[in-house]
Amino acid sequence: MKEMRLILILLTVVSLLAGCAQPSTPSPTEAPAEPVKLVIWWWGEQEAPGAQKWLDETIAEYQKLHPNVTIEAVLQSTDSLIPAFQSAAAAQQGPDIQYFWGGVWTLEFAWSGAIVPLDDLIPAEERAHYINNFERTYDGKLWGIGWYLSGNPMVYNPSLFKKAGIDLNDLPDTWDELIAACDKLNAIGVTPISGGLKDGWFGGWLFSILGRQNLDSEKDFMKASIGEAKFTDPAYAEWWERLNQLKEAKCWNADINSIDYQQGQDQFVQGKSAMIFGNDTFLKGWADIIGWDNMGVMRVPKYGSGKLADTYVVTAQGLGITSWSKHKKEAADFLMFTHTQDRLNAWFKYTGVLPADNRFDTTQIDQPILKQIFEWVVESAGPNLENFIPSMVDEQANFTGTQLLFAGDKTPAELAQLTEEVAQKWREQNPDQLQNFVNWYSR
Amino acid sequence: MPLSVSQRYKLLRKIEPYLFLAPALVVIGLIFAFPIVRLVTLSFQRPFQGQMLFVGLTNYQTIFQDEVFLRAVRNNLTLLISVPIMVVIALILAIFLFDRIRGWQLYRTTLFLPYLLPITVVGLIFSYIFQLSGVLNDFLKVIGLEQFVFDWLGSTRLALPTLMFVIIWKEVGFGIVLFLARLMSVEEELFDAAKIDGADWWKLHWYITIPQLATTIEFFTVVSIITILSWVFGYVYVMTGGGPGNATMVTELFIYLAGFRYNQMNIAAAVSVILLLVTGIFIFLELRLRERSAALEEVP
Repeated sequence: MKEMRLILILLTVVSLLAGCAQPSTPSPTEAPAEPVKLVIWWWGEQEAPGAQKWLDETIAEYQKLHPNVTIEAVLQSTDSLIPAFQSAAAAQQGPDIQYFWGGVWTLEFAWSGAIVPLDDLIPAEERAHYINNFERTYDGKLWGIGWYLSGNPMVYNPSLFKKAGIDLNDLPDTWDELIAACDKLNAIGVTPISGGLKDGWFGGWLFSILGRQNLDSEKDFMKASIGEAKFTDPAYAEWWERLNQLKEAKCWNADINSIDYQQGQDQFVQGKSAMIFGNDTFLKGWADIIGWDNMGVMRVPKYGSGKLADTYVVTAQGLGITSWSKHKKEAADFLMFTHTQDRLNAWFKYTGVLPADNRFDTTQIDQPILKQIFEWVVESAGPNLENFIPSMVDEQANFTGTQLLFAGDKTPAELAQLTEEVAQKWREQNPDQLQNFVNWYSR
Repeated sequence: MPLSVSQRYKLLRKIEPYLFLAPALVVIGLIFAFPIVRLVTLSFQRPFQGQMLFVGLTNYQTIFQDEVFLRAVRNNLTLLISVPIMVVIALILAIFLFDRIRGWQLYRTTLFLPYLLPITVVGLIFSYIFQLSGVLNDFLKVIGLEQFVFDWLGSTRLALPTLMFVIIWKEVGFGIVLFLARLMSVEEELFDAAKIDGADWWKLHWYITIPQLATTIEFFTVVSIITILSWVFGYVYVMTGGGPGNATMVTELFIYLAGFRYNQMNIAAAVSVILLLVTGIFIFLELRLRERSAALEEVP
């Protein structure tokens, strides 16, 4: 079953390549007869600079084709994206189209009835082109569509690596090599890796990037969440120990607990650190500031032997249609328009980020670093685990736990225990959510 | 039997005030009463398979077993330490200003300024100041006090006291202006008489100023307690996000996280009801103090 999941991911992503050979075929769009206003609440400019420009242009072009449709796009902040939509869902009033991260971030709203399945609104042939549909599939239905792909490479500064004597042709690919690289960088007075945990989000990333290495699929993490395995089992708990090793080896910036995620990433861009656990959606934006020559990408060094250890973390950030929308068909039509060939290519042009559609003309990727990312996406895409655990576990165990580790207040074993306790608390407090998770896991 | 004209007139006169009051009552009902009733109802329910089930006190039992909630309550109680500190600082500074030290008007404006600044702005500025690589630590290093360089916001031991410092810095201005305004209205003769009787600076303020400020001090204390219990979300959210490791978690942030991050609106409602009740007690106390203060002022 786990193998099947990985094969499915690979198949959907490999179809990107297959799509290259096909001529572009824009999806047919139908002009509605009555005046229609669509409201979109979205997020994305924060991680894919250029998204705003693309969306504005896409809306303008769609409105040109459909003069009786008006589309209003409201950019949400990272912190307001979920709360604002939850308020809207409670009032059954708000956007027609909503932005969602993958997995549980989408499905929680499917379970609460705030969004509708798209199977009757978007033809199966069209849906088949979207990448990472598995993240949004529940009960055999698709509850949203992927917009663009977001992956997590390790990004490094080649000149600082050279200065520290790290061979660019033999980049660290094991845990010991990573720690050795930290030693070399520390020796020349450079912070090896930078990050920021104050706002919590990076703690979730670390879990997703490092916590995966001993396990085989996202289902393993769902299994521990629903109580059929324990987060204290060695395979789940080892990442805390590995993270602690990096801390003890002084691989991280000393101020990691007092700065935000973004500030941690900025330290790399400012040349103050040699590596970051980055996000490939930021690459073009960083290149605009420091140039492509001043950064390189590498896979996260390995310590584990699970199938996920060899995967590149990828999620499709996406969009869904709300259950209260009076214009579901028109909303679906607009979503399909965003996946037309011209729009897919324009998306990549503006953002340097891969769209979540296998019809994207991959010959556009001419930058070597982005080609490398594309290769990893095609060859070894794996799930983002934060999308497959309850948000309470993510926040109260991963966000909080990483802060406690770097504050020196808890040992790795205590943090594994904390994760298990939070998961148990979540199960006790949320029988309804637990049932949904069990159903999701078993289907 | 039909009412006579005079009876009808009398009846109309009787219900007339209520008719005038009706629109306001409806508005108050919609704005205050309905949300509170809804909140209380939610706190006794839990979602299950698309239905809201009545679960009695289960949500309340749950939160009192939740270590994060208990930590939030403990942190709120710890922050209450800032109330007497604020009162004392505000009192001392108000007295200095009342003594009309040179440039007192400029000082008054300067001390009140932090109170006018938005919490978000204050939080952001102090976040940068208190970072490990922030302005404060840079300054300490420059003047050779490296032993006092700490991770003010990143340490689980220092984050709450640091937060408390910022709250005091911002809120104390309100107390100063409040005390000063009251002192300005105290009759000069009282102070003059005490001076003639040979009262020194200490006795003057101990026996005249503080008793005259008693009701204002009570009022400021109660308002500050309410602020600490239910109005510190902005500071925490911007400066620490409740971290590191829940070290600065407060009940308001707990409500926000339960409701909007964990999809536990009913747990959030239960905590809100508790917070509302506790704050309500202090609001009631404040109203009583105002009444007492007004009654004292009316005494000839």
